[in-house]
Order: sequence, then structure tokens, then C-alpha cells
Amino acid sequence: MNTKIYKIGLMGFMGLMGLTGVTGCSDFLEIEPQHEIILEKFWNEKADVNAVITGCYSGLQSGNVIKRMMVWGEFRSDNIGPGSNVQSDGNLEKLLKENIDAKNSYTSWTDFYTVINRCNTVIKYAPGVSAIDPAYTESELQANIAEMVALRSLSYFYLIRAFRDVPFSREPFIDDDQTMDLPATKFNDVLDSLIYDLESVKSNAVKRYPVTKDLYQTGRVTQDFIYSLLCELYLWKKDYQNCVRYADLVIESKKYIYEENRQKRSSSSALQSSNEVEDRFNGFPLVVNSTSSNYYGDAYVTLYGSDSRNIDEKNQEIIFQLVFSDDPSGTGMSANGAVNDFYGNSQSTTGLVAPSDYIYAQIEATGQDRKVYAEKNKMYDSRIYTNCLYSGTGNSNKSINKYTTSTIDIFATGGTQPDASYGSKYSQNQNGSNWIIYRLPDIMLLKAEALTQMMRDGSDQETSDYNKSLLDRAFTLVNAINKRSLCETLLTDTLVRSSYTSKGDMETLILQERQRELMFEGKRWFDLVRLSQRTGNTQVLASAALQKATTSSGLISNHLAKMDAIYWPYNLDEMKVNHNLVQNPAFGSGEDESYQKTTKK
Amino acid sequence: MGLMGLMGIMGIMTAEAQTPITSVHGSVSDDMGPLMGATVCEIDGNGRIIESAITDLNGNFTMRVRNPKDRIRFSYVGMKTITQPINKTTFKITMQSATQLKEVTIKSQRRVTGNGLPIPQREVANATQTFSMKEVEGMAFTTIDEALTGRIAGLDIISNSGDLGSGSTMRLRGASSLSTLTDANPLIVVDGNVRTVDLNNFDLNSANNEKFAELLNINPEDIADIRVLKDAAATAIYGSQGGNGVIELTTKRGARGKPRLQYSLKLTGTYQPKGYELLNGDDYTMLLKESYFNPEQSDAAANIPELNYDPSFSEYEQYNNNTDWRDAVTQWGLRQNHYVTVSGGGEKALFRIGAGYDHETGTMIEQKLQRFSTRVALDYNVSERIRVSTNFALTYTKNDRNSDNLLDIAQRKMPNMSIYEQNPITGENTSSYYSMLQSASREFDRNQKDMVNPVASAKLAKNKQTSYDMTPELIIQYQLLGMDPDSWQLNWRGSVYMNIANRYENSFYPQELKTTSWDQGVNKSHDNSSKSVSFNTKHTLTLIPAFKNKDHSFMMLARFELNSGSSTSQSVDKTGSPSDIETTMGGVRFENLSSNYSQNRSMYYTLSAHYAYKGRYIIDGSLRADGTTKFGPSNRWGYFPSLSLKWIISDEPWMEPTKKWLSMFAIRPSWGRTGQQPGQDYLYTSTYSSTGTYIDMQAMQPNRIRLTNMKWEIHESWNGGIDLGFFNDRLNLTIEGYSQTTTDMLLSNYRIPSNTGYNNVAYRNQGKMRNTGWEFHISTNRMITIGKKFWMDMNANFGNNRNELLELDELTLDSYNTVYGFSNDETLQRVQLHNPLGAIYGFRYKGVYTHNYSTFKNMTPEQRAEALAKGQTFPVAMNANGDVILDGKGDPVRMMFNYTNDATGRNYRFNGGDAIYEDINKDGQINALDIVYLGSSLPKLTGGFGFSFNYGDWRFSTQFTYRFGNKIINRARLHAEAMTGNDNQSQAVNYRWRKEGDVTEIPRAMYGANSNYNTLISDRFVEDGSYLRMGYAQLNYNIRKKYAQMVGVNRISLYVSANNPFVWTKYSGVDPDISSGGYSPAIDNAQTPRSRSYTLGITVEF
Repeated sequence: MNTKIYKIGLMGFMGLMGLTGVTGCSDFLEIEPQHEIILEKFWNEKADVNAVITGCYSGLQSGNVIKRMMVWGEFRSDNIGPGSNVQSDGNLEKLLKENIDAKNSYTSWTDFYTVINRCNTVIKYAPGVSAIDPAYTESELQANIAEMVALRSLSYFYLIRAFRDVPFSREPFIDDDQTMDLPATKFNDVLDSLIYDLESVKSNAVKRYPVTKDLYQTGRVTQDFIYSLLCELYLWKKDYQNCVRYADLVIESKKYIYEENRQKRSSSSALQSSNEVEDRFNGFPLVVNSTSSNYYGDAYVTLYGSDSRNIDEKNQEIIFQLVFSDDPSGTGMSANGAVNDFYGNSQSTTGLVAPSDYIYAQIEATGQDRKVYAEKNKMYDSRIYTNCLYSGTGNSNKSINKYTTSTIDIFATGGTQPDASYGSKYSQNQNGSNWIIYRLPDIMLLKAEALTQMMRDGSDQETSDYNKSLLDRAFTLVNAINKRSLCETLLTDTLVRSSYTSKGDMETLILQERQRELMFEGKRWFDLVRLSQRTGNTQVLASAALQKATTSSGLISNHLAKMDAIYWPYNLDEMKVNHNLVQNPAFGSGEDESYQKTTKK
Repeated sequence: MGLMGLMGIMGIMTAEAQTPITSVHGSVSDDMGPLMGATVCEIDGNGRIIESAITDLNGNFTMRVRNPKDRIRFSYVGMKTITQPINKTTFKITMQSATQLKEVTIKSQRRVTGNGLPIPQREVANATQTFSMKEVEGMAFTTIDEALTGRIAGLDIISNSGDLGSGSTMRLRGASSLSTLTDANPLIVVDGNVRTVDLNNFDLNSANNEKFAELLNINPEDIADIRVLKDAAATAIYGSQGGNGVIELTTKRGARGKPRLQYSLKLTGTYQPKGYELLNGDDYTMLLKESYFNPEQSDAAANIPELNYDPSFSEYEQYNNNTDWRDAVTQWGLRQNHYVTVSGGGEKALFRIGAGYDHETGTMIEQKLQRFSTRVALDYNVSERIRVSTNFALTYTKNDRNSDNLLDIAQRKMPNMSIYEQNPITGENTSSYYSMLQSASREFDRNQKDMVNPVASAKLAKNKQTSYDMTPELIIQYQLLGMDPDSWQLNWRGSVYMNIANRYENSFYPQELKTTSWDQGVNKSHDNSSKSVSFNTKHTLTLIPAFKNKDHSFMMLARFELNSGSSTSQSVDKTGSPSDIETTMGGVRFENLSSNYSQNRSMYYTLSAHYAYKGRYIIDGSLRADGTTKFGPSNRWGYFPSLSLKWIISDEPWMEPTKKWLSMFAIRPSWGRTGQQPGQDYLYTSTYSSTGTYIDMQAMQPNRIRLTNMKWEIHESWNGGIDLGFFNDRLNLTIEGYSQTTTDMLLSNYRIPSNTGYNNVAYRNQGKMRNTGWEFHISTNRMITIGKKFWMDMNANFGNNRNELLELDELTLDSYNTVYGFSNDETLQRVQLHNPLGAIYGFRYKGVYTHNYSTFKNMTPEQRAEALAKGQTFPVAMNANGDVILDGKGDPVRMMFNYTNDATGRNYRFNGGDAIYEDINKDGQINALDIVYLGSSLPKLTGGFGFSFNYGDWRFSTQFTYRFGNKIINRARLHAEAMTGNDNQSQAVNYRWRKEGDVTEIPRAMYGANSNYNTLISDRFVEDGSYLRMGYAQLNYNIRKKYAQMVGVNRISLYVSANNPFVWTKYSGVDPDISSGGYSPAIDNAQTPRSRSYTLGITVEF
């Protein structure tokens, strides 16, 4: 008996050891990750599509992307100078001195392409989901594709404005055997592709999100955003008719929403502000700057400050913004780390960058020297105080205010110097400011720029009725924006129409108005690049960039005289792995030529 | 699968038959008369005892018989056992004394006890080297790698750092891949089981850059033999796992005899060799004031209260000291190793139980390592055919580590600062530690304010690491056919092995160590736990046919192996905790919550065969197929063949005349292929994971590009070996030459164009590399004997490895080659085809400019000539003839650093007191063109040698290791002589250039990273890393048995040993034991040096 029991036991033991093998070799080696989802199991339902769409937004939100939006869009301009401890970021320090080479980490574009790749992935797989998930309707699918095309176009638009020609692909990268080293596509071709893509999806885009999702209205892609993007793309393409057409669509839409909201209002304060819109802003639904007498700066609080995170009808001006949270650990959403680092926080009031000395000199300047802010010898442009931390009584703290404080009060009684008081800057890593991509004044000024460009050149610049009406229309737009910012509820104009009687004058006015209105919003350098592209020379750009130069201005002006130099070089690491890229000649290869490459054949 | 066949064979054997004989009886006697108490038993075909009886007073017995086909066996202590068939019912047995045997010659061969075939030692046809732990018995080793250092030709072992439990880097025959992520350490195999610690989820960040010390969990006391498999023919049975060579460890098992109890105790004192002398507080403050003054030539810049010794300064008392920080953080460490073993057994069962407890305090304060380990080995012979064995090992390790790199901080921290806060009036130490206040001078923002008080960090911060490691194993061996060499043998061995490893890390960094405000992440704690379980089952069938013609011998083996493993880990960081207690109270912020789970499986088939003709023509071959989940379906299986030949020439009849002195002369060529798999799972799939929240929506992202094309890295190697034995193998010599080519190298984090949305892919197969080299190993076996009491032995080995990169596409090379940024302390990294890895490039250093430029400029031509003739040096450019280059105005052209006319260069003007770099191309400036090759970090020769002397009960042995011909960048010294920041410096800087005319090798003090270029990587900091180290010297004394027995024990041995007592080297750093990783050169980053230690030991056997 013993033998048998023992033998049964042995067989059982052997069976146990062989058990795993019995299931078959091929199955045994098929295992799937447990904490990640594999491609083959993904893309089954609407929720999967929505999750990756959200991934595109969170990609755009990443510090690396926002920082580049700021750096590429503005930091080389006259607005920005070095802040405190800038030497801790050597790449930033160098680019602020206009000493840029291909090794500079701000030339790295990976994170934009990460967003582009996610958008492409959704566009590739979403139709398949729509085929199997009955809850995912065709119209939702088309709206999602429009949303992805819009975000992809926005990303490419940033890339071409910074690098001019960039690799362009509408296909996602999934496998390691795909061709990766794409050559750069020309600026104009990319621009045309973006316009084509957006034109074909614009009608599918969501017009308004459900009322319950109020943060979606500006935090996600809407048709207004696509129109705004098209408006600017056409301006860069120098197709001014279309630029104006899309600007009007946006303005009309914003007016309609404003009108809709106004109907619902009953309180007296709301009525007062509506009067302002009609009386002072020429009917443009801009945010009101003063809700109590002698106190100004409410527009700041609404657009960038504490009210900016409670999106409601007050925030009628915003078209598209990336939404951040001031409580990252609580909500799981990111805080705006880029602003925190660059513009400062409660720990280090001055961030890595600060308003340039030139901007500060402008604040202090009087009379004709005063170019950036008001035309008159007054301290009455509230943007002095909302853009920079400036108390009005001397140069106390050189620091950027926009996006970094939640409240501001500017006290001004007619004729006296205003006095500004600020809430403290956001705590470190808890900056909840949304990053605005488009708001109404931006579009209005783009339209004004387009209108000016539509003027006929010649001696009859002012006298021709055609030109005159264009100038009138442009001035109305600029004036509304300018008037909104005054620390006075005057009905009369501060800007005088008769001072801008030529195309050149009006162009300058618009450029200056864009500078003061959109300061520190990542727009200034792109405005100068667009101007250079239009005029074929870099004069205005170079003189603006030189305003802040302290040393080697000769070198910088020589360098910036080259059209190529207003863009950025391709990152050196990129050049190393993609031999189909041709480096921007203004920057050389970026590699140090003083030693030979012994490895080359 | 072979399993089914096995079942069939077993089924056949269960058949039984009927029996006419039901009982037997008889008597047992010897030549003296009847034997009482002799054992009579019936044993079946498997040798199992079925029935038994004992003889009575008259030697008679009666026993029931269950099966007449069984045999009957008679045994008695001291008598020869007799076995007979049951063919009768009456047995009259006369037993013979076992002690009265005539002289018998037993011809047996020592066989290899590895994981493959039981090949006779003499017939081994591949490159292996064995090492018996007996040779180092009693030495105070914590891990096996310490014992192996310098013993194995071609095995280069470099300890990572002297910190407790930090492990070592091992390279067998050089690094075979460029990759930094695939493990390049040899495979560790314990009793046939591969020790794989799945590092996938192991939190390497918190483990600093110290390699996880895998061997830490194996107690050297448990190891009997070590076998190092070097060539691919030897490692091919490990397939893709054996790509970096294999170290097979065999543990001790029980031996027949009465139970033996052994206890050993080792007491070891360790200390740390001191590096360069550091400045004291007075010298430091003087240096710093000079260093702040020099760049701007301004007293205001040097007016820093912390350096001024001004009693009116509120913190005056804290900054008027001469603190030796290094002294404050180092100490004598004490190590105790206790180990108890009980072993013994009889015919049926053998056992060995070992248990050890180690307690160790480090040479850095507050470092403590405790380890408890136990290993149980049981063998039970169910019958002659069947043996069941079980092994169980458990190791528990608790490592209290420092939270900061104390030595590094101690070497940099300002010495005029006090450890403890001092009473501002009396200047006496208080009980609290002093940290630099945030309000201290801005100059110290970097380089001092960010440095914690190292003593406070050691005492207050907590950083614990505990690990449990359990490895139960069950083995069944079954001899299915014959049991002796004259019959066909078919043996099955089945085993189940598990490896359970749990690791916990827990650290807390209290607020007292930081002077920043509460909301900046103070009271930070980190918890990490990881568990991994792996399960392995192996079935091996060995067939050994018996040939009539004894000239042929053959054996073959087939093995099937399954592995599956899974691991999980969780980690969380918390800040703002009120204490290190687990809490979720208000204010606690959770950060970096992460968890991970991964699974992997693999499957291996091995075939291996050995054939010998006349015992001197030998051919070995093996083939292994590896399947693993690390690859996608198309590349899942890898095939790894090997072939080796051996011709023992000395056994040829025509070699008979030389046999007297040449006992062994064999040549053995071999060829084999092994491989390497990546260290990560699921790479062949596209995965999606969540990535935060936007508004109220959860975000997902595609994680990576899937690696459809990834395949096995292949190592193909040729090996040629010559074995020589002289004077009856008293002197053995082995010479090996090899060439290993790695193709399809798995390059990790391979950079791809980022317009794909990703910066890199995890791996790409790319390039080709070759390692060639030779090894020489000599050992003796009682070579010199004088009388009966004295003999002497020696061993020596050396190895040389050359490494050459054969192919790599241009894009990859480009991305490996950094662009030189012209900054101090920057290594120019070049990876070049047809060159070895680890090359060092830099400038040539020619001393210090004695005079300023302006001085030279203001001289008349005659004065200039005279000054130059006197050997004075000026920062002026010279042409190829050595003449000073003059500009249009007749002024000398000033020597510049990295001059470009577009403002992108450094455009630094050299001046008196700056470093002179040789202008190699004589272009009047120093730039990247003046960078030259300064040497290789790979040694030309590595190895070791040792001697042992025996005299009666005394034994003295010593072992040396050496590396020769390698260069090291001494970055530790570079930082200690840079004088560009606030770090404390070495005393060498007291000889710095201070005023014009000073002739010195040390440039002037200049604050600021770009204020000067005196510490570019140059031959000033590239040093020869050759060394000769006395690994250990040990004196051993066995107390004579008769004295030992007087105190009731069997054996007492005593020993003293010194570990690492001397290093002879020209290297100026603390320890030249610096390894180079991947393609970067060997850089001394001031890690904790290997400690020196002295051990007292005693072993008692009861």
C-alpha cells in the first residue's frame, strides 16, 4: 500500500510542477501589463476617446509647453528682461541676451509634438470607436475631430512661428518602424495645411458647451476658438479679407453671448456696466474695469485674478484658455508652474524674468519719451499697474504682476497719480492662473491690423474715402480697448483719431496697443515676426529687441538684421538624430566647428 | 513535453507480480560467532526498504517477504553489507569485517558539480575557473564578491563605495554592451537557481546610484564552491541570461557522521582611509576672501560677515571655529559576525542548518547594517533511486543608512562654522545643531546654504531599508534505470524553486535639518515597498549510456524550465508631517503617489551533450532555446548554441616520456552564442496610462512607441584555452584567449526625432562591439614542501581585455557625443568607432602664468626676451617657433580661451595666476582643438596573486590584487582645488598663486563658475589609476586536537586578519578603485572609500 500512496503522491507532485506548462507554450508567454492598458484593449468606448482628448489638454498644460509659449512668443522682445536668480537657468539667461544657439534647451519642441501626436492618435482611432460604441454619435465624433484638429493646428502654429519650417505629419507615431526623421515642411505649406484643416472641420465644432460645464466654454475648443485661430492664420497668410471675416464672426458671437446674458441681468450694477459697454467700448463686450467709483483694475481681477477661475458671464472676453488649478493636490489638476517660475510667487516675488529695464523706464518716463503706455502725460493707463508690480510711488519692486496676484486695487481720483495696492503673489506651486490663448481684444486688434493692411498705398492715404473708412474702423477697435483701461470713466477719447492719419501711424498705434494690452501674454515677439514677414525686413523688430540690450548691441543688431535670425534654431539633439533637417543658417550648426569629427566617413 | 513520457515510465513500474515465497528466516554471524542486532531488510528495485527485521540474541531472524523479486540485505555496524536475491527461504550469512579490507584502489574521478552534466573535471572543455571557499575560511567577508576579488582571471571587481551594503560592480571579460540599463554584472546562480532580482520596480532613485547588492543576501559561510563560467561555451546553457558570464555558487550540504555543531565569531574593526588634507577654518576664510576679491578686485565684494571674524556680528560665535567636519562624520566601525551550523546525517538523511547574525556599524556615523540569515539543506534518500532534497534560505537585512552623502558634504562644508549652535556670549556649544540661516549672506546661497549639517543629518534623519528574501526549494531526483556506470542511466531531476523578496524603504527628513519655511516641503517622508515573487520549475533528464567499449563515453541532458515572476511596488512621499509617524493629519501633503505591478514569464529548453573518446578527445555541445515575455511574438524565441572541443595531449601514448613532469597538457577551442534581453517588460506593446486631470475630465496618454522590431542582443564568442599541469598537477597553469563580439546591442533610451512626440524609445538594437583578451591563471597544490609540516602554495592570475566599438550608426554616435561647452569640470565625451570605450580627453596642463599680461606688454623687447629666458610665463600667444606673436601695434597678442568673434564664445582673457594650457595647434588661443587624448579608463592588466604558508597548525595566507595602466579623472581633487565656490578645499590650495612672480602649480582663487577656466579637464586631474592592493593577510592557528578535547570541544581555530591594509598607488585620491560605466570615463566623485579593517576570529566545533 505504501508504495501506491507514495507513487500517487509523486505523480501529483510532478503534475503540479508541470501544471503551468500544460497550458501551452504560446499562451504561457502571452501576458499583458496590469497597471497600464494596451492599445489593443483601448479605443472601445466614448470614454476612451474623451480620456485621450483630455490628455491633449493636459499635454498643452505642461510646464514645458507653457514655458515655450512664453519664451517663443515674447521673451526675445523688449518686454522681458532678466529677473532674480536667472543664472540658475543658463539657457534662459542666454536667450535674454539674444545669445541663442542650438544647444539652448528652449529650442526643444518635443512637448508640442507630444500634443500633436496625441491629437493625431485620437483622429486615427476615434472613428473606429464610433463604429462599435452606439453611445458615441457621429456628431460627437465630428466635434471631437474638430477639437483635435484645432489643438493640433494651434500646436503647429506655435511651432512655425518659432521655427518657420517644421516637420509636419497628420499621422500618429505608434511603431518603431515608422519613418521618423521627417524633413521640415515650409512655413507657407504648413500654414495652408492648417487653414485647410480648420476650414474643413470648423462647422463641426461645438458652439457652446452645456450650461453646467461652464469651465468648458473657454477651457475647451469652441467654434469661436477655431474662428479666432483662422483669423490669425489668415493674417499671417496676408489674406486680410478672410482675417476680417473671421474676426467679425468671433466679435459677433461674443456680442450675441453678451446680449443673451444682459437679458438675464437685473441688478443695477450690471446695468451700469452694460452702459459702459455701449457708451465707452463702442458696443464691444469687453470686461468692465471699474465697478465702484475711483477704484480700477476690476478687469484684471476678472481676466487674470481671483475671478478668472469662476467662469461666468462676467468673463465674456475670453475665447480660449488653458485652465489651471490653485489647489493641485486637491483637484489633481496642475497649477501653472511656468508662470510660477517665470513671473514669480510669494517666495520669490521676482521670478526668473522681470519687465525689462526699458519697460520700467517707460513707466517712469514723461511726455514724448513715453511710448509704451499712454499717449498723454498721465498715469492713467491702468495696465501700467496690472502688468507690472508698480505701486505708483517709485520703482519699488521690479516684477511682473500679470497672472501672479489675485487682486489689485487702483485708486485714482481725477487728475491725481493713481495708487495701486496688490494682494500678495500666489504661493509657490499654487498659481492657479489660467493661461489665455485668445481673448476678444486680441482678435479686435488683429482685425484692426488686417483693416490697416487693406489700405491702398499712395499719397491719398487719408483723403481716399476707402482708406479713411478703414482707418476709422481700425481706430474704433483700438480706441475701445484703450478706453477700457483708463483709470477714468471718461466718455471722451484719450486717443485722438486725427493723430493717426496714415497707414504707418495706424500700424504703429496698433502694434503699441497690442504691446500694452497683451503684455506678458506671449504675443509680442510673434507680432514683431509677423511685421517682419510682411515688410520683408527686421527693422522694427531689431530696434524693439535692442531697447533692452545693455551690451554688445552692435552684435545683436547685426545678427537680427538677418531674416533667419528672428526664428529659432533647431535643437542640436534633434539635428543629430534627424539628418533631414537643415539648420537655420543664422545660427550655424550649433555644433562647435573647432574640432574635427573623426567619426565621419 | 518530456513529462508525459516520464509518467509512462512510472506507470510501467507500478505493475506488480504474485509471489510464492512469503517469508524467509536464517541466522547472521561473523567469524567470532552469532551477531545480535544485525539488520535484515527486504529492499525493492528502487532500493527502498519494504520490510525489516533485527537478529535476536542468537543471530536468528524471521522476516515476512512481500515480493520475492526484491532483494534481501544484511547489515551490521563495522561489517560489510551483503545483498542477495530472495531465491530461497533460509539464509545463513557470515559477515566480514569492513575494517579488515585489503588495500583497494578506488578509481573515481572528481566531477563537476555545476548545473550541467556531471562531467569529470579533467574532461571539462570550456573556460571555467573554480574557487573553493576553504581557501578563505575564516576570513571576514560580508559578501562573496569580496572573497573573489583578485582570484579569478578576467573578473574585475570594483567596490561601488565603502558605504554599508552598497555592493560592487563586476565585469567578466569587460563590458559587453554600451547600454547602461541592461545589467552588465555576471549572472549569479545558487545551486542551479538563477538569482534574479527584478529591478523593474525597485526604487533606484532612493538607492542613490549604488547598485543594488544582490550578493548581500547570500552569507559567505554557506558557500562551499564557486565556479566562474567565462566563455560562451560554458555559459550557453544559461542562454540569454549568461551573456555577461556566470558565477555559480554551490552551498554546503550535510555530510554523514554524527551531528557536528560549529560556531564561529568574527570581530572586525573598520576604518576609512583619509583623503587629502582639508583647510581649517582660518585658512578657509582667508582663501574665500581672496577668492571674492580677485575677480572684481574689490574689498566690498570680499566683505562677507561670515568670513570677517567680527565679534559684533550676531552669528560671530558660529563662524569662528576650526571644525573638522570629516572627522565629525567618520568613525571606527565594528562588525560582528556570528554563525552557527549544525550538520550531520546518516544513510537515510543528511542535514545542514546554518544561521548567522551580523551586526555592523559603518565607518560613517549612524550607518548600521544588521543581517540575519539562515539556510537549511535536507537530503532524504527515500530509496537508493530516489532522493528528495529541500533547501530553504531566508535573509533578513536591515540597513540604517544616511540620508545625505555625509562625506561629500563634510568635505565641502565651511570649516569655520560650528557643528552645534554656540552660545553667543560664552561661545559654548549648546545642544542644538547649527545650520546656516536663510538670512546669511547671499554669496552662500549656493554651495553652503543648501548643504545640511552632516552631523545633524546623520543623527536626526531616518533612512531605513529592510528586506526579506526567502528561497524555498524542493528537489526530487529519480534514477530511472541503472545506478552504476556499467548500466544505462537515465536520471530525472525535478525542482520547484521560489524566490520571495520583499523590500521596504522608509525615510524621514525632519524640519530641523532645513532652515526654509514650513510650506516648502519640510518634514518630508518617503515610503516605498516592493514585493517580488518568482516561481521556477525545472525538469532535467540526464541520459548516460553504458558502452561495452570503454573508450567511448557519452552523456546528454535535456532540460525544460519555466519561470514566472511578478512584482508590485508602492511608494509615497509626504511633506509637512508633524513627525515620522504614519499620519494623515492636517497639513500633510501627499506627493508622488505611485504603484506598479509587473509580470514576466520565460521558458527555456536546454539540450546538452558530452562525448569523450579514450578520455582524451572530447566534444561538448549544447543548444538552448529561450522564450520570454520581454519580446513581442515575432522575436520571442532566441536560440543559443555552443560547441567546444578538448584534446588532452598529455594522455596520448606517445607523450608517456614526459608524463613524469607534464601531468596535463590540453588544448580546447570553443565557440558559443549567448544573448541579452532588455530589463523592462511589455515594451512590444503600446500602452495607455492616466496623466492627470483637466477641468473635470481624467486624462489618458499613449505612453510610448511600441518596439515591434526589438530583438535579442547576441554575444558570440570564441575561446581558446591551454591547460597545463606539472609534477602530478602540483602546478597548474591555464591560459585563455578569447574574442567576444556583441551584435544588435540593446541601446537603452535611444534618442529618436522628437517630431514623433517622444524623445526616445526604451531600446533599439544597434551596433557591434568586440571584446578581446587573454587570461593567465596559475595555482599550486602543495608545490613546495619541507618536511611533513611545512608547505607553501601560491596562485596568480592576470587578465587583459581590449574593447573595440566596431559598428554604430552615425546618428547614434552623434547623439552619444556631447558638444563641448567650454566650462570647468566638463568632460568631453567621445564614443568613436574602432576605439575602446571610456577614453579620456582633455587639455594639457602646463602650470600657472607667473605674470600678468600688462606686465609683459609694458616691457621693452629686451626685457621681454630676458623675462622669457628666465622662465617667467605670460598669457601671450606664441607661434609654432615659440616666438611671441605681436599685433599691428607691436603689442603681444593675448592668450584667449575659446575666442569667437560672434560673442558666442567664452572669449576669456588669460592673466597671471591662471592655468596654462598647451596650445597644441599654435593658433594663439585655447579651444576645443587643443583637446587631446589623455588615456583610457580601462586597465591594461588586472588580476591578483596570493601565497599561503602552512606550518603544522599554523597557516598564513595573503592575497593581492592589482590593476595596471588605467587612468582616472580625479574630479574629487578638481573640486577640492577649484577655488571657484564656497566649498572647502584641500590644503594644496595654500600653495596657490597669490601675486605676480609666484611660481606654483596651483592657480589663483577666483570666485564664480565662469570667472576663470582653471579647472578644465586636463592632465592635471587625469591620474594613473594603477595600484597594487593587499587584499588581506591572515594568520590562522588550529589548537591541537588533544588540547581542544581537554575543554570538551573537537576543534578550535583562531585567526587574525587584516583586510585591505595597504594600497600601493601613485593615485592621489583616497582609493583608486574607480570603475567606468558604459561609455563614460572613470571619474572619482569622492565616494566613500573602501574601508580598511582588522579581524579577530574564532571557530569552535563541538
